[in-house]
Amino acid sequence: MDLTAFENRIAHGGRLTAADALQLYRHAPTYWLGRMADEVRRRKHPENLVTYIIDRNVNYTNVCVARCNFCAFYREVGHSDGYVLGFEEIFRKIEETRELGGVQLLLQGGHNPDLPIAWYEDLFRAVKQQFPDFKLHALSPPEVIHLSRMSKLSVPEVIDRLIAAGLDSIPGGGAEILVDRVRKLLNCYHKATADEWLDVMRHAHRKGLRTTATMMYGTVETDEERLEHMLRLRDLQDETGGFTAFITWSFQPAHTELGAAHNIIEASGIEYLRTLAIARLVLDNFDNLQASWVTQGGKVGQLSLAFGANDMGSVMIEENVVRAAGAAYCMDEVEIVRNVEDAGFVAKRRNMHYDILGDPFFRAHEVKRTHALSTARDAGDNSVPAELVNYQARSAAGKKQRARPISPVS
Amino acid sequence: MNINLAIAERARAGEALTVAEIDELGSSDILSLGMLADEVRRARVGESVTFTRVLEITGASGASGASGASGASGAEMRISKLPASLEDTEGLIAEGRMLAGPQLLTGFSLADIADRHWGKLVDILTRLKSAGLDAIVEAPVDRLHDAEDALKACEAADLPVRCLSLQSPINIDGRSSWLIHLRDLVMKFPKIDTVNPLSREQPVQMPTTGYEDVRAVALARLVLPSVKTIQVDWAQYGPKLAQVALTFGANDLDRVSTVDDESLGKRRTSVEDVKRNIAAAGFTPVERAAS
Repeated sequence: MDLTAFENRIAHGGRLTAADALQLYRHAPTYWLGRMADEVRRRKHPENLVTYIIDRNVNYTNVCVARCNFCAFYREVGHSDGYVLGFEEIFRKIEETRELGGVQLLLQGGHNPDLPIAWYEDLFRAVKQQFPDFKLHALSPPEVIHLSRMSKLSVPEVIDRLIAAGLDSIPGGGAEILVDRVRKLLNCYHKATADEWLDVMRHAHRKGLRTTATMMYGTVETDEERLEHMLRLRDLQDETGGFTAFITWSFQPAHTELGAAHNIIEASGIEYLRTLAIARLVLDNFDNLQASWVTQGGKVGQLSLAFGANDMGSVMIEENVVRAAGAAYCMDEVEIVRNVEDAGFVAKRRNMHYDILGDPFFRAHEVKRTHALSTARDAGDNSVPAELVNYQARSAAGKKQRARPISPVS
Repeated sequence: MNINLAIAERARAGEALTVAEIDELGSSDILSLGMLADEVRRARVGESVTFTRVLEITGASGASGASGASGASGAEMRISKLPASLEDTEGLIAEGRMLAGPQLLTGFSLADIADRHWGKLVDILTRLKSAGLDAIVEAPVDRLHDAEDALKACEAADLPVRCLSLQSPINIDGRSSWLIHLRDLVMKFPKIDTVNPLSREQPVQMPTTGYEDVRAVALARLVLPSVKTIQVDWAQYGPKLAQVALTFGANDLDRVSTVDDESLGKRRTSVEDVKRNIAAAGFTPVERAAS
C-alpha cells in the first residue's frame, strides 16, 4: 500500500473513495491513521481548542414499540418498569443542569404509543416558557418518524410543529448503521430505513435546524458497511451542510438480545480509535468529531483526541441507555477539562452549534464533583405523571392506566 | 513527528538517557512517542504479547477463598492480601501451596511485608519461602523505604520478585527520576526482567489519564533497555486501555482471570477475550507458563 500517496492526498484536502477508505481502514498501521486524522483535525481546528458541552442526557420514556435487538434500555408497553417522566420532573432536571452550567437537554426516548405529538409540543412549550434560553436538542430521526406515523402528519409537518413548540436541534441517534441489510438484522429497519433516517435530517437541515450524526458499530455489519454509512453521511453533508458533528461508538452488548443471540463482544479500544480516525479522514466535510468517553471510558476517550476527535462531547449529568447495556463511566466537567488540558489542549465550553460559550464553568462557580451519572429516576419510583390524563393513550395498557387514579409524581 | 531525533536514536540504541533527555522525550507528542516505543519494543522483544492467568487467593478463608479454580489449570496462584500476622501468612501460604501443587504460587507486595516490621526482612522472606511461596508478586519501589536493601533481602532469601512496580501515580516532575531509579535497580538486580509502570493506586478524585498511562508505558520501554517485559495489569486497567498500551511498548498482560465461563460461548471467556484483544492490536498472544 502506497501510504505516501495517501499522505499527499490527505495533506492537500483530497477526498477518499470507498475503496481507498476500506484499504486504509483494514490495512493502514494504527499510528499512521492516528497521525493522518490528527493532521486533519489540526487543519480544521488550528486554534488548539477542545470543546465540550454541559448538557443533560434525559430519556423521557423507556416505553418503546420498536424492539431493536441491540437495546437494553427499552421496556414494552405495559411493563412494570416502564416510565414516562413528568413535566415537573423534567423541569427539576433542567434546574439541576443549569446549576452546573448546562445549556440544553439532549432529550430522547422510546417510541411510546401513548405519547401523542401534543405531549411533546406541550412539554417543549412549557420548557421554553420556564427556561426561555435553554435549548432543546431533541428527538432523533426515528422518534420524528414515529410521531409522523402516529399523528399521520408528514415528517416536514412534524418538524414544523416541533420547531414551533421550541425544538432547537435534532440529535443524530438511531442511525446505527445506515445500511438496510444491517438495519433488518438489528430489527430497526421498521423504525427507520437508512433513507428515512437521512430524509428526516435532510428536512431538518432545509428548515434551518442543525443536527448531529452518529454511528453505532460492532454488531453484525461489515467494514464496507461502516464506510458506506460514513459515505452516506458525507453525501448528505455535501448537499445540506447541516451536520455539526459526528459521533461514533461501539455497540454495548451486555443485557441485549442481540449480544446474547450472536455472542457478540464489545469492539476493542484500538478498533474504536481506528474507526474514529478513518471517520476523520472520510468525513472531510464534518468540522467536529466527538470522543465517546461514555462507551470507551475516560482514558481511551482522552486518547481519542490524538486520533481525530476535537470535542469531548457532553458532561451528560445523566445517562440511561448505555448504562443499561453495561457501561457506567462518568466524567464531570472537572474531569473532562483535566483530561483535555492534560492532552495539551485548551478546554472551552460550547453549545450545540459549536459556538464557544466560555472557559470551564467550575472555575468561576462552585460546583459539586460527581463520580456517577444520574439516572432518569430513582429505583422503585413507578409514579405516573398527573398530566398524562390529558393525552389520549393508544395502547390497551395505556388506556387502562389512564383510567385509574394517578399516583402523582413525588 | 514532534520528537527529538537524536534522543530517539539514543533510545533505539538502548543507551542510558539522562533526566533531561527523558523529560524531553516525555514531552513529545503522544503519537510520536508511541511509534518510537512500539518500534523499540518490536526490535527488542518481537511481536508476541505474553499474558498470565492468575487465580487470586483472597486470604479471607484460606485457600478456599480462591475463585475460578475450575479454570485454573496452568494458571499462577496468587495470594493478594497479606494476613495480619506472620503465622497466619505462613498458614495461608501452606494452604495455597497445597492448592497450587506444582503450579507457581506467588503473593504479596514486598512493601506490605516490609511495612509490617515482623522482624529482619531477610528472615521473614526466608520463612515465607519455607512455607511454600515461590515468588513475591511485586516490589513497589516508591513505597519501599530502601528498595535496594529490600531486593537484596529477597535475593538472600532466594525468593524472587516478579516485577518492579509503582504504588502511586508519579507526577510529571518526578517521572524521569523514578525511571532512572528503576533503571538502576534492574541493573543491580538483573534477574528482575519485568516492570509494571502503571500505578497500583488510582485516586477517585483524580485518576491518571489515558495520555499519562500510555506515556508511562512508552517511557518505561524506552528508558529501560535491559527490561524485557513491560507489564500492564489487565484486571486493573481494563481491556481497552491495556490493549492500547500494547501499541505503546507494553508486551505483557498480568492478572487475566481464570474464570472461563463458556456458558456464554467460547469467545466470551477471559482467555479468548485477552487473545482476541492482543491479536486485534497486531501481536501474537502467548500464555506465560506458571510452573
